[in-house]
Amino acid sequence: MKGRMRELGMTRGDVIVWIGGLLVALAWAAPFVWMVSTSFKFPADVMTQDIEWFPRRWTLDNYRKVFEYPVIRWGFNSLVQATVSTGLCVFFGAMAGYALARLRVPGGRIIFLVFLASLMIPSEVTVVPMLLAFIKIGWASTYQALILPTIANVFSVYIFRQFFLSFPREIEEAARLDGASAFKTFLLVALPLARAPMIAASVIIFTLNWNNFLWPLLVVFDDEMKTLPVGIAAFAPITGSHTQLEAFSVSMAAVTVLSVPSLLLFFFLQKYFIQGISQGGVKQ
Amino acid sequence: MTTSTGTIAGATAGLAEAERERIHWVGYLFIAAFGIPFLIFNVLPVIFGFYVAFTEWSIFGAPEYVGSRNFEEIWSDPWAWQAFTNVLWYALCIVPSVTVLATLFALYVNRGYPASGLARTLFFSPNVVSATVIGLVWVWMLDTQFGLINHYLGFVGIGPIPWLTSIDWSLFGVAIASVWWDLGLAFVLILAALQDIPKDLIEAARVDGAGPFSRLRFIILPQLRPVLSMVVTLQLIATLRIFSQIFVMTGGGPAGSSASPIYYIYTTAITRNLYGYASALAIILFVLILLITVVQRVIFREVTH
Repeated sequence: MKGRMRELGMTRGDVIVWIGGLLVALAWAAPFVWMVSTSFKFPADVMTQDIEWFPRRWTLDNYRKVFEYPVIRWGFNSLVQATVSTGLCVFFGAMAGYALARLRVPGGRIIFLVFLASLMIPSEVTVVPMLLAFIKIGWASTYQALILPTIANVFSVYIFRQFFLSFPREIEEAARLDGASAFKTFLLVALPLARAPMIAASVIIFTLNWNNFLWPLLVVFDDEMKTLPVGIAAFAPITGSHTQLEAFSVSMAAVTVLSVPSLLLFFFLQKYFIQGISQGGVKQ
Repeated sequence: MTTSTGTIAGATAGLAEAERERIHWVGYLFIAAFGIPFLIFNVLPVIFGFYVAFTEWSIFGAPEYVGSRNFEEIWSDPWAWQAFTNVLWYALCIVPSVTVLATLFALYVNRGYPASGLARTLFFSPNVVSATVIGLVWVWMLDTQFGLINHYLGFVGIGPIPWLTSIDWSLFGVAIASVWWDLGLAFVLILAALQDIPKDLIEAARVDGAGPFSRLRFIILPQLRPVLSMVVTLQLIATLRIFSQIFVMTGGGPAGSSASPIYYIYTTAITRNLYGYASALAIILFVLILLITVVQRVIFREVTH
């Protein structure tokens, strides 16, 4: 062991920092382990001073109690909202980003600056007047209310504009000279080349939509139209209808259901998450 | 043969040149696909919000213009004062904690020890789950009687702390969960900046006999200044907008001790049906965010020069 450490060029101090840092990293993610572990325990094994990281006895009862609620329906609503909204946002963002980087559009710079300046306006500030408007036109608790306000995410424009600014334009120019229209060139030539920003924008915006909380909380009054995070929030011990004994085990099962899709998506597409975020530095 | 290819190539380049010079009116259509929803859902509500803030408006009735009355009432509203004071406390707790911890974690991962990829994944992972997950997990972690945190604090002789159920502690309980949630973003940004520091700069300092701490102090931290400024700004804005974790963890309580401006806006609009008043609160928050961002930018610029 000591020999190998030396091979890697590590001093004793290095080894201490290395192991210490890894322990901190493991402790940092430990609440997730505790969440999953609690979700499989009997309530009596949860409400105790004995800490069992690995349950002695297992049960699926907590999950059964979670699925007594319309969790599937909430998940479907979330999926529809996040997929449609992300699809539109990425496609429109790619078009705008492409035009701003590639086409000669007088005033394009100013338009882009306006897009960026809007990031200074926190979405929470626009939420009350928007809610009022949606209620007045009778669109509360609908899919269009969940989807429409989330499609204009400037991050999407930004990431595509940056990509096309630094990407050679010869291939597209050849297509244009062959007489293809601007839209055809964009759709059939430019967009397929923009795989990296497309995946980065998609995973980040999808996650933002999937986790979105305030707007769906406000605009949905009908239990059936809730999104998953809002529906599951009702398992909170302060508002939930479960007895004190089982409140934690059931709520941990509920949030395990909720977090698994995001965590899996992140683990498999990590590279794109991290690239996209460090490129954009923008999160709405 | 060579000349004719040259001529064709020249002609193609000329065509491409002309193509580049031409104004593409169709570009506006490309931008409009994004720009129209942007105008309707990002810009219009701000303007509409300014109008609503000067009215008294409930879901049922028609708007009634009341001038600056909403703003005057906010000035003498103890709940509003408490929410805005709380959010400054949140900022004071969360922003430095996130910045310092994220810098330490990024410095660690940047050393490139074995398994640092795993460490990076673990440090970032809380950032990808929703506020509901963060809130519920930390309600359980911070439970006074059976929570893990109090359990381990007990080993070092710290008595059970009523993290979320007492007026004195609830804000800190929510702040802990927020640091855990928010850190990932700052961490990734700082890590990316660290990887951009030229290796020979650090190597040169090492050759000149600079130890690890003076390398950190005189080479690395100055190079990180722009990204740290960005991280502080982003985190400050995020913290001023704090809402979801409060909603899930404490419901703003006990006695409003953990409520934030957005939480107060939420209850004003939804529970009390006072949309004008809620919009006025939102505008005050907007102005506060704008002011703090500008002031913070100026301070960082002063420090840099």
